[in-house]
Amino acid sequence: MKALLFFAPLLRPHVRRFALALALSLITLAAGTALLGVSGWFLTATALAGAVSFNLFAPSAAVRGFSFIRILARYFEKLVGHDATLKLLSTIRQWLFGALFPRLPLPDRSLRHGDLVSRLTADVDALDEIVLLAIGPLLAALILGGVMSAILFALLPAAGWIYLSALLAAAIALPALLAAATRKTGAALVTAAADLRTHVLDAIAGHDDITLFGRKDYAAARFATAGETLSRLRRRQALATALTSGAVAALTGLALAAILYFGLAAFAQGALSGPVLAGLVFGVMGSFEATSAIVRSVGKFGTAAASAQRLHAIATLPPAIREPARPVALPPGTDIVFENVGFAYPEGEPVLEALDLTLAPGEHVAIAGPSGAGKSTLLNLLLRLADPQQGRIAIAGADIRDVSLANLHARIALLSQDSPVFFDTVRNNLLIARPEATDAELFAALATARLDNTIRALSAGLDTMVGETGATLSAGQLRRLCLARTLLSPAAIVALDEPTAGLDRETELAFLSDLPRALADRTVLLVTHAALPAGLNLRTLTLARGSLTETRP
Amino acid sequence: MPEVQHKDDERSQLRRLKGLRARGGAHATLAIVVPLISGTLLVLQAVLLANVLGRTVQGHAPLSAVWPMILGIACLIVLRAALGVLAEQAGQIGAERIKFSLRRELFGHLLDRRRALGLAPASGAVTAALVDQAEALDPFFARYIPAMVNAAILPLAFAAIVVPVDWLVGLLFLITAPLIPLFMALAGWGAQAATDRQAKALAALSAHFADRLRGLLTLKLFGQADAATVAVYDASEALRRRTNAVLRIAFLSSAILEFFAALGVAGVALYVGLTFLGFIPIHPGLTLTGGLFALIMAPEVYNPLRQLAAHYHDRAAARSALAEIEAQFACIDTLSAAAAEAPAPVAAGPAALDVRNLTIRTETGRAILEGLDLSLAPGSHLAIMGESGIGKSTLARAITRLLDHEGTIAIDGTPLAAIDESALRKRVAFITQRPRIFFGTIAENIGFAAPGAPPTAIRLAADRAHVSAFADMLPDGLDTRVGEGGEGLSGGQVQRIALARLFLTDPGLIVLDEPTAHLDPETEARVLDDIFAFAQGRTLIVLTHARAVAVRVDKVMTLAGGKLFPTAVRHEDSAAPSRGHQA
Repeated sequence: MKALLFFAPLLRPHVRRFALALALSLITLAAGTALLGVSGWFLTATALAGAVSFNLFAPSAAVRGFSFIRILARYFEKLVGHDATLKLLSTIRQWLFGALFPRLPLPDRSLRHGDLVSRLTADVDALDEIVLLAIGPLLAALILGGVMSAILFALLPAAGWIYLSALLAAAIALPALLAAATRKTGAALVTAAADLRTHVLDAIAGHDDITLFGRKDYAAARFATAGETLSRLRRRQALATALTSGAVAALTGLALAAILYFGLAAFAQGALSGPVLAGLVFGVMGSFEATSAIVRSVGKFGTAAASAQRLHAIATLPPAIREPARPVALPPGTDIVFENVGFAYPEGEPVLEALDLTLAPGEHVAIAGPSGAGKSTLLNLLLRLADPQQGRIAIAGADIRDVSLANLHARIALLSQDSPVFFDTVRNNLLIARPEATDAELFAALATARLDNTIRALSAGLDTMVGETGATLSAGQLRRLCLARTLLSPAAIVALDEPTAGLDRETELAFLSDLPRALADRTVLLVTHAALPAGLNLRTLTLARGSLTETRP
Repeated sequence: MPEVQHKDDERSQLRRLKGLRARGGAHATLAIVVPLISGTLLVLQAVLLANVLGRTVQGHAPLSAVWPMILGIACLIVLRAALGVLAEQAGQIGAERIKFSLRRELFGHLLDRRRALGLAPASGAVTAALVDQAEALDPFFARYIPAMVNAAILPLAFAAIVVPVDWLVGLLFLITAPLIPLFMALAGWGAQAATDRQAKALAALSAHFADRLRGLLTLKLFGQADAATVAVYDASEALRRRTNAVLRIAFLSSAILEFFAALGVAGVALYVGLTFLGFIPIHPGLTLTGGLFALIMAPEVYNPLRQLAAHYHDRAAARSALAEIEAQFACIDTLSAAAAEAPAPVAAGPAALDVRNLTIRTETGRAILEGLDLSLAPGSHLAIMGESGIGKSTLARAITRLLDHEGTIAIDGTPLAAIDESALRKRVAFITQRPRIFFGTIAENIGFAAPGAPPTAIRLAADRAHVSAFADMLPDGLDTRVGEGGEGLSGGQVQRIALARLFLTDPGLIVLDEPTAHLDPETEARVLDDIFAFAQGRTLIVLTHARAVAVRVDKVMTLAGGKLFPTAVRHEDSAAPSRGHQA
């Protein structure tokens, strides 16, 4: 709940739209209630009046009017409500991006984790629905119910109390009870779904091991158990919701029966006329349309609250990397110094120990070493995606911790192992690195990455859509597109992490041979475990067990 | 033409969805039948309510004469509420059964997948299909289908019941109820296409959002944080404006439904009222009870249709979920059921390996291994060296039948293709370069290698593989939970757990891919001692860069240009006789 309030400021610019949507939904419900009530009254009154003078005009106009209002109000309620929701969605998405950027990289090393991305997307959607789907019905039911209670108190006080208590129970007590009862199940459901996901990931990534040890039965049994747990929890949650729904239906229905009884008693005493009694009974029936929507929205409310909590947690994380309080401007220059650098991941063995490395301006250095030796970590430290626990890293003589991150990142272009290709055109994917680049410059970068001919051969050329679902390019070609993007960047230092992964040996050799010329005036730090071509004028170091040793070229 | 195609796709997809319904069993049927019973009781309830009001107000019956009816109404209300609970729970159980059975089938499919050289399936998308998309089928089975059946039966049934009370009102219901879907369809042909487009645009935007989210760090490093934030807002807003234009039409169909529902109530009220006043001489004998009954039933006739409209998007959601599931699993090529015709008996003791003219190509046709020959006598130990990426692991995967190959590979003289799967797995062990640590405890991860291995055996294997050395420092020892790909464990620790797995098995041929890559020299030496002790009396192939490994084997070969070449290792080479390797 507290987490939900955290998001109130995002809602503020849209309050008027939501208020309008709520008002329209209230009008819809009220018109429906009034339509039934007036109809009941009118029917009974005419039946009792017989053929004598009966003022037809007002009631028949009211009946037609209410139905017309209801149709219009419903239509515009939907339009306004959806507009407000979509507007809020835009705001939340913008907010989330704004909140995430300064906190990158996230501590659990996992924005690339597909799971977190889909969770964030779902969380944003859940939050977006809350106003219209969860808060709206509750407010509408309370307001309409309040008015109905007032009418009953005026005409039939005994029934007023019954109706009001039924309303409060159906709109507040029962939903609250449901929320409390399903909170634990809700949390367990999230865990169960995550477990199921893990088993699927295990089956994909561990497929070799499962096959090699002949344990498909074991994997299938584990998956089935997790699936059964998930099913059982979902059934339990559905049962709680159904029971609450049933309780609301029974409660409001019994209130109707009670109102009927007391109404008839009042009618027998002459305190209430027949038509008014019929009108009240029908009106009460009509007003239940509002309460029946609440229970369904409670589930959404719980989901939204959980989503809000998760988003709130991410948005209030302390940034993993602290910006300097008083940043100094990075002096021009491209020399890099690693001095006595030590680094370990939290609760992990040390990755780098007392590492020293100096790169002269414009020097090209290749770093080899077994996988897991810390080669990528070295590049991450250079870009301040993590800070070393010991030692310092300097560029052009300035400790990179004293420089603003934007300043630092503008100096270095990184091709990481998991560089993404965005679902967009080839052109837009490249322009991320240098928005003002001309087509000629784009093709020059593509040529160095050995992708220019492929792109030229495409019918849409630079405007071809690529990305996850754009199957126009192979995995190796997408990798080269990322490489071209990095090469296009105006940064004076280039850090390449396995740039030739996904390339066949021939292309790999061609690329590596081209490298000195293509990046002639830039400092290059190249991490690779590919065998380097002979005769390549490249200083090569090997990273193993935390420190670097010169390798004979 | 594409429009026709689209319709066909939609129809066959809905057929497949409905085909899945059978898996829900009796519960799925119950979820449909119970609301129909509840609908019947509703008619009874309306009759009682109309009678109570009609008799007392018009007929001046005393309260004492009608209170049993009021009690009846109360009982019916409670009964119907209970039936509602029953129907919902039955629907949910049915839907859970359907999802569970579908997931199990798909998971089996995943386990049986054929292994090829290329990449593994996109784990994120497959996981989402199995977990999230399967979940998205839920409302379709739990709610949409019951709502559909109800909408088809209840309005007509209610209308038919009203006919004897007042044929004109009954006729009004009978005509308007089926007309609604017709009008909705008329408005809907345009609107449905618009809604589909809109749903697609929304999905595309959601994908765009997720896509940028995934690449957030890259955007930041290129200084695009502000631009990307503005872009995500702009894209969202552009969609909103487009959507609004579409929705203005799309919501017309719900306005039509509302129009008929309101018209029904207002029409009945006015008609009955005017009849009572004598303005309409069609049904002069209509009582207040009859009129009230017609009025109570008026909104109820249209209610099932309204319910259906409320769940209509569940249908579209289920269709797109099914399409996504089918798309993900269509790319997975499954292994045709066990290849062996007559399983050869499993040999015991060290295994013989004979590889003739082995060739393996990439998807593009480039040969990684070409005409490779290798012969290993039982009990011999071979190290294969070579540059990274030269094809060592590919060779190991072919020998252990994780890859299809050209040429012949025979173990104990039987061609690989003819060996029964479980016999092969007992005979040949292969520890890959990146063993998977499964979600569970360290002990479970070791015991994974041998079903039913007693804790003492697991402990022994853990000791031998030096797993205990680090596990004992953890709070729960071997019972420490690890997983999600070995998070919390270093590469070396993962490697040692994999070796412990090996020590629990009894293979004739062992293949190890870089077993000591992540280990420091002291641990490496100790682990190698244990590996070679275990490999006594077994055939062993080690793929390695490490000289420390190469000096311990009988024979060292180097893989280059798709073939194996004998290699001299500087010392001890003459001491170990080359047993059975073909030069």
